[in-house]
Amino acid sequence: MSASAEAEDRILRLWTPLILRLVLLAAVVVLLTGLVLVAVKDPAAYVAHFRRAQQLPSVVDREPWSALLERALHGKPHDVLTLGLMLLTLVPLVRVAFCFLLFLTTRDWPFVLFTAYVLTGLVLGTVLGRIG
Amino acid sequence: MFSILSYLLLLSVLAGFVGALSGLGGGVFIVPALVILAHLPMPVAIGASLISVVATSAGASVAYVRDGWTNLRVAMLLECATVTGAVLGAYLVGLIPTWVLELLFAAMMLETAYSSLKNQDDRPIATGDGFARRLALGGKYPGPDGRQIHYEVTDVPVGAALMLLAGLMSGLLGIGSGALKVMAMDSLMRLPLKVSSATSNFMIGVTAGAGALVFLARGSVPAVVAAPVALGVTAGALAGSRILPRANVRVLRLGFAAIVLLIAAEMGWRAASGI
Repeated sequence: MSASAEAEDRILRLWTPLILRLVLLAAVVVLLTGLVLVAVKDPAAYVAHFRRAQQLPSVVDREPWSALLERALHGKPHDVLTLGLMLLTLVPLVRVAFCFLLFLTTRDWPFVLFTAYVLTGLVLGTVLGRIG
Repeated sequence: MFSILSYLLLLSVLAGFVGALSGLGGGVFIVPALVILAHLPMPVAIGASLISVVATSAGASVAYVRDGWTNLRVAMLLECATVTGAVLGAYLVGLIPTWVLELLFAAMMLETAYSSLKNQDDRPIATGDGFARRLALGGKYPGPDGRQIHYEVTDVPVGAALMLLAGLMSGLLGIGSGALKVMAMDSLMRLPLKVSSATSNFMIGVTAGAGALVFLARGSVPAVVAAPVALGVTAGALAGSRILPRANVRVLRLGFAAIVLLIAAEMGWRAASGI
């Protein structure tokens, strides 16, 4: 491994665990808050949502994220849970974005390209889910 | 509500625990548990499992990265292939009939049982090829005496092709595809086995995350299922990884391979009989 690659490796080993832990912790806190809110505010809705999930062969519910975020901020239990799940899926996205920025600052162009491709793939997956 | 929530949490904790002990990952166990025991449709189980795999990978890979076992450059290069496969696989879940998914799951279980039982020995370190050296893919890992052991990487394009398949299976079936990833890195690209396992663990989060984003954006993962599953599998995996160093891994693997074969038989039967 070259000296510049070793330097990158040291930075990645220092920061990656921290990033992974922070976003994971935030997601777990939001998910636990959501579960407590469901139990306190609307346990019947939880059962209804679960029975619906059991009965439909597949669910498609592409509501606007702005509406979901607004309801979550107002403490609607189901939306807080969904927000927690979204935060959880941000864990890899944030990690790859950090690597992309690091490779960009060190001008490691092949890896700028690889991480940019992975980021594009993650964004494309989201777009496909919204429209496909 | 509490009976449903406790049941989902119990299934998830067990799946995460068994997944960590067996080294197969929680997804292999939580998908059939949700389908067979919680009577949820296969696409819902796949979406919930993918999100739980993201959480488990983020938790488990931290120590390997910190201690120098993970080859970060190899991971980031191969993620190009796994993410492509995972997005395609997760997109196809909405289009492929359930019986095909169940049949694929059964086949994947058979492959997983085989991989977990076959002997995996460290082989001589590869000399590495020009492509891998240009990208500085070689690395080092901590040896038993604390000395750093250098290794090189070879056959990246062939490994990447298998990674594309691993990603596709991950997105289609809601599993981490760790067995396929380790096989590609260990057998084809000649990374040391422990480095392959740690690097696979690290990559699984991004692979599953790519699939999970498709499901979440489509709104096809009910939060009431995915939230307890993610929390439960992560807690179970954490407990399993604490016990793992004291466990007899060989005996455990035999037992879990038997469970995986039973799951394959059940999923195959469901596919054939159209349940």
